[in-house]
Amino acid sequence: MAKVYNWQLGREMDYRFPEAHPQWQFAAVFNINRCIACQTCTMACKSTWTFSRGQEFMWWNNVETKPYGGYPHHWDVKLLQLLEEANPGGQVWNGAQQGDRQPYGIYQGQTIFEAAAEAGNETALGYLPTEQEWTAPNLYEDTAKGPQGARNKLHSEGTRLPEHNTWFFYLQRICNHCTYPGCVAACPRNAIYKRPEDGIVLIDQERCRGYRKCVEQCPYKKSMYRPNMRVSEKCVGCYPRVEGSDPLTKGIPMEARCMATCVGKIRMQGLVRIEDGDWAEDASNPLYYLVRKERVALPLYPQFGTEPNIYYIPPRWVPRPYLRQMFGPGVDEAIDRYTNPSRELQAVLQLFRASQKIIFRYEIEEGEKVLDTEINGRPFQMYNDTVIGFDKEGNEAVRLSLEEPFHVRSEQYQNSI
Amino acid sequence: MGGGELRITAGWTVAGIIALALIVSVGLTLSDMRLASSQTITLVAKRSEVEVPLDDPFARVWNRANPVEAPLSAQNITPPKGGGDRTITARALHDGERLYILMEWDDDSEDLLVSRQAEFSDAAAVQFPVAPGENVPAFCMGDPTSPVNIWQWKAAWQADMEQGFVDVQDAYPDMQVDLYPFEEEAEFYPARAVGNVFAQDDRTTAVDNLLAGSFGTLTQAPDQVVQGTGVWRDGSWRLVFARDLNVGEDYSQFAEEESTNIAFAVWDGARGERDGIKSVSQFLTLEVSPDVAEPGGGVTVWIIVVVVLGAVALTLVLALYGRQRQNG
Ligand code: SF4
Ligand code: SF4
Repeated sequence: MAKVYNWQLGREMDYRFPEAHPQWQFAAVFNINRCIACQTCTMACKSTWTFSRGQEFMWWNNVETKPYGGYPHHWDVKLLQLLEEANPGGQVWNGAQQGDRQPYGIYQGQTIFEAAAEAGNETALGYLPTEQEWTAPNLYEDTAKGPQGARNKLHSEGTRLPEHNTWFFYLQRICNHCTYPGCVAACPRNAIYKRPEDGIVLIDQERCRGYRKCVEQCPYKKSMYRPNMRVSEKCVGCYPRVEGSDPLTKGIPMEARCMATCVGKIRMQGLVRIEDGDWAEDASNPLYYLVRKERVALPLYPQFGTEPNIYYIPPRWVPRPYLRQMFGPGVDEAIDRYTNPSRELQAVLQLFRASQKIIFRYEIEEGEKVLDTEINGRPFQMYNDTVIGFDKEGNEAVRLSLEEPFHVRSEQYQNSI
Repeated sequence: MGGGELRITAGWTVAGIIALALIVSVGLTLSDMRLASSQTITLVAKRSEVEVPLDDPFARVWNRANPVEAPLSAQNITPPKGGGDRTITARALHDGERLYILMEWDDDSEDLLVSRQAEFSDAAAVQFPVAPGENVPAFCMGDPTSPVNIWQWKAAWQADMEQGFVDVQDAYPDMQVDLYPFEEEAEFYPARAVGNVFAQDDRTTAVDNLLAGSFGTLTQAPDQVVQGTGVWRDGSWRLVFARDLNVGEDYSQFAEEESTNIAFAVWDGARGERDGIKSVSQFLTLEVSPDVAEPGGGVTVWIIVVVVLGAVALTLVLALYGRQRQNG
C-alpha cells in the first residue's frame, strides 16, 4: 500500500498504487435541486452505449430516488454498513475547515481501502451485488421518507423549510472517474486504467478476464459484468466526445451524452487541470469555481476514499444529517451559499447545459440591478449580468444573461407553430 | 517372572515393528505410491502403449498410472486471497508424442456457468516452469526471470463447447427485448471484437494456455495448444489435460528422461473462487519416464491392503508367539 493525498478527506490515505495524476481530470457538477427525474440522461446513455445483447441490465447513468432507491438496490446503505462494521463508531469527521487543501476538514474514519487493510485479503472493502439487486433500477421512484418509525404516513408538516419532514430527492449517478478508483485497485489483472490525458477510467476489454473484482470493489457500483462477453464494462465518460472526435464540434471537446441531453439543465461537465496532484488554481473554470472556490458542490460519499469527480449541489430541503452522511461536512456551507447565491454564482449557474461544448473558461459582463428583495430573511440582489463561456480553443461557446430575453410574437405569427 | 523373559517379549515386539515397517515400505515401493508431504514429491509420467483418450478422464488406461496426492492450501500471498485446504490426486502419462496430466478433486457442485451476475465457474490449472532447470520459479505465478506456463481448464468453456456458446437468452430463457440495434455490428461486442478469448463464441478448447512472470502478469499465450476435458461425477471432478511434448521454447518443455516441476490449482465456482481466490499446491517434480506404464497400476490399492493386512497379521502372530513363550 502506498500513501496518497486525498484532498476531499484532508489527509493522506492508503492506496494500492502511488500517486499518479492525469494532466486533466474529467469532472462534473450535478445540481440535485433542479433534477426532474425525467431519465433523459439515462436513456441518452443507454441509446449510445448499452443497447446490445448482454447489456440489458446496464445503466451506466441512472437516477434513483433517495433515501430508498438505489441501483443496484441499497448499494450505499450496504457499503456504509460494511464500513461501520469494520470500524464501529469511528466513521467520523473533524469538520473544521482548514484551508483549500482540507476544504471539508479531516476525515478520521476508515476508507474502503483502509478498512480492508487489516484482513489483507482484498484491496478494498466491497461486495458483489446479487442478480436481484441489479433488477428494477428505479424501484422506490418518488417514494418519500415520512415521520420516523411510522409506516405509510406523511408528516403533518411535510414541506416546511429548511428541512422537509416528508422528503425525497433524486440522485443522478454515473461513474465518478475517481482519482483513486476502487475498480483500478481491485483488478488483479491490472486491466483497468486511468487515462493520463483526461482521467477517464476504462476497462481494457482485451485484458479483462471477468473476475468481477471491480464490480465488487467499486463503491459506487458503476462497473458491471456483461455475461455474454464474460468481462466487465463500465461508463466510458463518452471519451470520443471529450476528446473532440465527434464530427459535430469539429475537434472541440464536448460534454458526455448524459450531460448534454439533460432536460433539467442540472449538469455541467468539463475538464479540470491537474497540477502537483491537485486541481490547478483556475477560478475562471466554472467547475473549479463551483467546487473549490465557492464550494457549493460536494463529492458523493467522500469517506469511501476514492476521491470521486462528480460533485453535487445538495438538495436544500433534505434533513442535514442525511446529507452530511452522503456529502460530508461541507453540506451546511454549500446549502447556505446555494440558497443565498453570490452575484458570481448566479451567473455561473446559467452555464449549465447551455452548450454541448465543454466550457473551459467563463467571463462575466456586469449588467444593471434588476431585483432587490429579501429571500429566506436575507437581502438578495440580482443583476442582469452576462456570462460568456469559452471552449477549449478560447472561442466563445455560449453567452447568457441572467434575465431571460423576452420575445413578443408579431401579430402575423400569433398562431403559427 | 524374570528380566530375561521381559527382554524376550520386548525383542519380539521390536522385531514385529521392524518387519511391519519393512513390509510397508516394500509394499509402497512395489505399488510406487509416494507420500505427499513436501516439494520432493515426484509425479512420474510413464509411457503408455495404449491410447489415452482426450475426452474421457475415467478411461481405464489411467489405472496404469501411479497416483500421487498433493496438498493444496489457500493462496494467501497477494490480494485477492482465498481458497482453502484440499487434496488433489494427480497422475501422468505420455505416449511419446503427448503428455497427459490427470487431476482429481472433490467438489460438491458442478458449476458450469458464468452467465449470471454472481456466478463463477469451477476451474483447475497446472503450472510448469517455461524452462526446466535449477532455477525453480516462485510457485505463485512465477517470477520475471523464470516465467511459468499455466494451463487453466474452465468448466464454463467446456460448457460452451458442449452446448454451444452460452449467451444471455440461454441463461434467461424468458427474457423479452424489443430490439437490439446494430445487432450484427462487431464493435458493439467490444471484448469479442478485440479478440478477448473469454468473449469468443467459437471455442476450440476448454483450456487456456497462459504465461506469467509474476502476479498480475498472467497473459494469454498466442498459441492455444492445450486440450482438456473434465467430468464431474458423484461429488468430484476428474480432468485430463493433454499437450504435445514439444511445442517450442516459449512454453514448458517435456522430454523423456527429463524432469521439470508441476504445481496445481483448483477453483470452486460455487464459493465465488476466481483469480487469486484459489487453492494452490507447491511445485512437485514431474518426471517423464521412458518406462512403459504396465497394467496393474490400478491394483495399487490392493497391494497396499494386502501388505497392511499381512503386516498386521504378522505382528499379531509374533506378539502371540512371544506371549506364549513368556507364559510357557
Ligand atoms: S436528464 Fe437531467 S433532469 Fe432529467 S433525470 Fe437526468 S439529470 Fe435529471
Ligand atoms: S466510480 Fe467506480 S467504476 Fe468509476 S472510477 Fe470510481 S471506482 Fe471505478
